[in-house]
Amino acid sequence: MAGHQTSKPEGPVAIAKAEGASLNPLDPIARFNRSKLKQYTNIEIVVASILFIAIVILAVFGAFLQTHDPMQGDLMARFAKAGEKDYLLGSDHLGRDLWSRAVAGLQWSMACALTANIINLFIGTTLGLMAAEKEGWARTIIRQFTDTLQSFPFLVVAIVVVVIVGHGFVPLVFTLGLLAWVVFMRVVYAEATSIYQRDYVKAARIAGVSRIAIMFGHVLPGVRASLFVIFAFHFAGLLIAESALSFLGIGAPLGVPTWGNMLAESRQYLLKAPGMLMVPAGAIVLAVITMNLVGDGIASLSRKRGRSIDV
Amino acid sequence: MTSVASPSSVLNIDNLALHFLGQDSVVEALKGISLHIDKGEVVGVVGESGSGKSVTALNILRLLPRTKTKIPHGAVSVLGRDVLTMGEKDLQHVRGGEVSMIFQEPMTALNPVLRVREQMFDVIMRHQKITEEEAERLSLNLLADMKIQDTERVFNAYPHELSGGMRQRVMIAMAFSCNPKLIVADEPTTALDVTVQAQILNLLKERARATKTSVMLITHDLAVVAQLCDRVYVMYKGKIVEQGLTRDVIGKPQHAYTRALLNALPEGKKPKSRLETVAASMIDGADSAAAPVVVRTTIQAGFKLYGQGQPLFEAVNATVSYPKKYNLLGRAISFQTAVDHVNLSITEGQTLAIVGESGCGKTSFANSIVGLVPLAEGELRYKGKNLKDHDDLTRREVQIVFQDPQSSLDPRWPTWRIMTEPLTVGKSPSRNELRETAAGLCEMVGLDPSAIDRLPHEFSGGQRQRIAIGRALSVHPRLLILDEPTSALDVSVQAQILNLLLDLQEKFQLSYLFISHNVAVVRHISDYVAVMYMGKVVETGAADQVLSRPEHAYTRTLMDAVPTLERAFAA
Repeated sequence: MAGHQTSKPEGPVAIAKAEGASLNPLDPIARFNRSKLKQYTNIEIVVASILFIAIVILAVFGAFLQTHDPMQGDLMARFAKAGEKDYLLGSDHLGRDLWSRAVAGLQWSMACALTANIINLFIGTTLGLMAAEKEGWARTIIRQFTDTLQSFPFLVVAIVVVVIVGHGFVPLVFTLGLLAWVVFMRVVYAEATSIYQRDYVKAARIAGVSRIAIMFGHVLPGVRASLFVIFAFHFAGLLIAESALSFLGIGAPLGVPTWGNMLAESRQYLLKAPGMLMVPAGAIVLAVITMNLVGDGIASLSRKRGRSIDV
Repeated sequence: MTSVASPSSVLNIDNLALHFLGQDSVVEALKGISLHIDKGEVVGVVGESGSGKSVTALNILRLLPRTKTKIPHGAVSVLGRDVLTMGEKDLQHVRGGEVSMIFQEPMTALNPVLRVREQMFDVIMRHQKITEEEAERLSLNLLADMKIQDTERVFNAYPHELSGGMRQRVMIAMAFSCNPKLIVADEPTTALDVTVQAQILNLLKERARATKTSVMLITHDLAVVAQLCDRVYVMYKGKIVEQGLTRDVIGKPQHAYTRALLNALPEGKKPKSRLETVAASMIDGADSAAAPVVVRTTIQAGFKLYGQGQPLFEAVNATVSYPKKYNLLGRAISFQTAVDHVNLSITEGQTLAIVGESGCGKTSFANSIVGLVPLAEGELRYKGKNLKDHDDLTRREVQIVFQDPQSSLDPRWPTWRIMTEPLTVGKSPSRNELRETAAGLCEMVGLDPSAIDRLPHEFSGGQRQRIAIGRALSVHPRLLILDEPTSALDVSVQAQILNLLLDLQEKFQLSYLFISHNVAVVRHISDYVAVMYMGKVVETGAADQVLSRPEHAYTRTLMDAVPTLERAFAA
C-alpha cells in the first residue's frame, strides 16, 4: 500500500523538509525539536514565566523569606526608609517591616484569589456546560440567573454579603467564589454551544455515546484551552477585588497583613511615608501584570498550537 | 493553439512568482505564471484547491498582505500600466474602477449593516462624478439589467433579506457599475444552487458581451468553464500547465494533469465504473491513499443479508417539521415543514440517491433517520420494523457520513480513538483491541494503518473523509447515509472517495442513501433516484430513467441547469 511517507515530497512539503522539520508526527524528535520550542516561546512568555515562578516561590516559601515578623512592630523604628536599619523596604507607622508584610499579604491574597477562582471555575463551567448541552428550561433558567447576577454591580453585592456574613478568609473566599463565576459560564456556554453543533458530536450521539461521555470526551476538552486563559485573567481580577474589599475594610479582618489593608493604613501617612503606599500598590500592580502576561502567554500558545495539541 | 499577448491586452501577467512568508518557512504559491486577457474575452482559470488560482486573482488588485508576501520576479499590468509598482492611490482607482471583483460568498462580500442602496452608491460615487439622483437611476438600471424584477425592493433591502442568488446578482451589478474593463470572478457560483448557478452564469456572460468587458473566471468546475469561456488556463501547483481555446483544452487535453482532471469527473463515465484518479504523485502533500482497497475480511465477516427483494429500509409518510414561532411559554405554535410525507424504500446492496437544492429537506430527512430530529408524522421502518422499536445495536446498523470532514472529526482525538468511538458504547474494550480494530478499519478505507495515532489536522480532506467512513463502518452498518460526502472535496479526491464507496458496497453489500446536489455524481453512483423539491419527493425511479428522461417539470429544470461538458460543446 502506498503510504504517504513514501510519496515524493514536492512543493511546500519539500520546503518544510528543507527547514529541517520532520513530517512524521510519530517521530519523537520531531515532536520536541528545538525549532518547535523556539516557535512556542517569545519574550512575553519568558517574562511571564519568570515573574510567575518568583510569585509562586514567595507564596510557598514566604515564611523563610520574611526578615521580620509581619505583625510585630517596633515603635522605635517607625517610618523607616527603605534600606534603613534592616528594613528592606522600610517600615510603617507602627514600625512593622513592609517587605515582610507585603510577602504575608501575597500569601493571603493569593490563597484567597486562588480558592475563589477554583470555585468560580467549577460553578461557571458546570453551569455553562449544562446550559449548552440542550435547549430547554435548564438553559433558560441558567441564562436568566447569570444575566441577573451580572446586572448587579459586583462590588456592591460583595459588600452587602460581607456585611451580613462577616469578616474573615472563609466568608471572603465564598463571596468572591459564589459571585464572580459569570465570565466562566459565558465563555464555556458560548464555546460549548458551538462544539455541540459540530458533526463529530452528532456522530457520537448517533453511535449512542452517552451525554456524559460526550460532555467529558468532546466538549470539555474543547473548551479547556480557553478555561486556562480565563483562569489566569480572572485571577488578576480577583486579586484586585480582594484588595479592594480589604481596602474598604470589609475584606480581611483588621490588622491582618494584606495588600488592601496596607493600602488603607497608608492613607493617613501619604506624605510622611509614601513607601507605605508604594509597596502594596506596587505588589498589586506586579501581581496583576504577571497574571495578565500568563494569560496572554497561554492564549498565544494555544493559538499557535492551533487545534493540534492539547494545552 | 495559443494566442499571444498583445499590447492591447486588458490584463497581462508576465512570469509572475509569489511567495508567502511564514514565520520560518516560505511557501511558493506561484512559480512563474504568464497569462493575458484581451478586450471582451471570457477567460477561465481552472485548478484544484492550492493550485494558486485565487492568489493570482487577488494579486491583480494587490489585495494580499504586502508584509506576508514577496514577489521575486514578474510583472502584472492592467491596461498597460504596471500594478506592482503602483502607489496605493492609483491602485484605488484601478480597484472597482478598471478592475472589479466578484467573490464566492456574496453574504460576506456585502456589508450586512448597509442597504444595497448605500453600498452601490459607495462604489458608484467614488469612481464617477454624478449626483445622487443620477446614481440612483444608474443603480436601478443596473439591477434591471441583472433581470431583477422588483428592483425597488432589492435596492432598499439589506443583504440578509435577499436570497443567495439575488445577492450575487447585486454583486455583479455592482461589479459592472463603473464600466470596468475587467471583471475577476472568483468561484462566483460555487455557493449557489445549480438552477441559480445557471442563471447567474448566463447573466454574467450576457452582460460581459453587451458591454465588451473582459472576464477572468476562476473555478474548479470544468463544466462551467466549458460552457462560458473562450480560452482557459489550467493551473497546477502554482504553474500554468496548459492553455488554449476551451474546446481544444477540454476536447484534446495535452498535459497529463488536465487529462487526469477530466478523467476524474464522473460525467460521461459508465455508472458504477471505477473512476480514474489523478496519480498519487500529482496530488499535493497527502492524499496518496489511492491504493486499491484491501479488506481484512475478519472485521466485517458474518454480515447477514436481510433478504433480497425486500426493502431494507422504508420511509412511510415521513414528515419533519421545525417550530417557527413560539408562544410566551416557549411552546411552539406554528411549524415549518421541512420534509413532507416522504415515501421511499431501499433494498439491500443498492444505492438510493436524493437529489435536490439547498433547503429542499434532504438533510432534514437524513437527520430524522439517524434520530437527530424527531419525525412529526409517519414511520421509518428498518428490516420491516419501526426503527424506534429496534434495540440500540440494530439501530446502529444505520450510520451516517457527513459532508464536511473538517467538522466531523474531533480535532483533539487521534485517529484510532475517532474510528472506534462507537465501539466503546456500553462496553470498554482495551486500548489495544481498539487500536487493532482501527488499523483494520484504516486498511478497509484505504489508509495506511500506521496512521492511527495521528490527529485529524495531519490528514488531507479526502483522507479525513476516509476516516469518517471508517468510523461509520466500525459498527458493521447495513445502511450508510452519505450526506454530500464529496461536495467539500476536489474533483480528483472526489473520484477516489466514489471509488472507495463503490468498492465497499460490492464487498459488503451495503445499502447507501446518497444525498447530493451533484447530478453527475448521483448518476454515477446510484441505482435509484428521488428528486426532492420543497420537502416533497417529486419524482422517483431508476437513476438512468429519472436523470435521462425526467418527467416532472422541476426535475427537467434541474437537469437543464446542470452545466455539462457535452452540452457546452453541442452549443
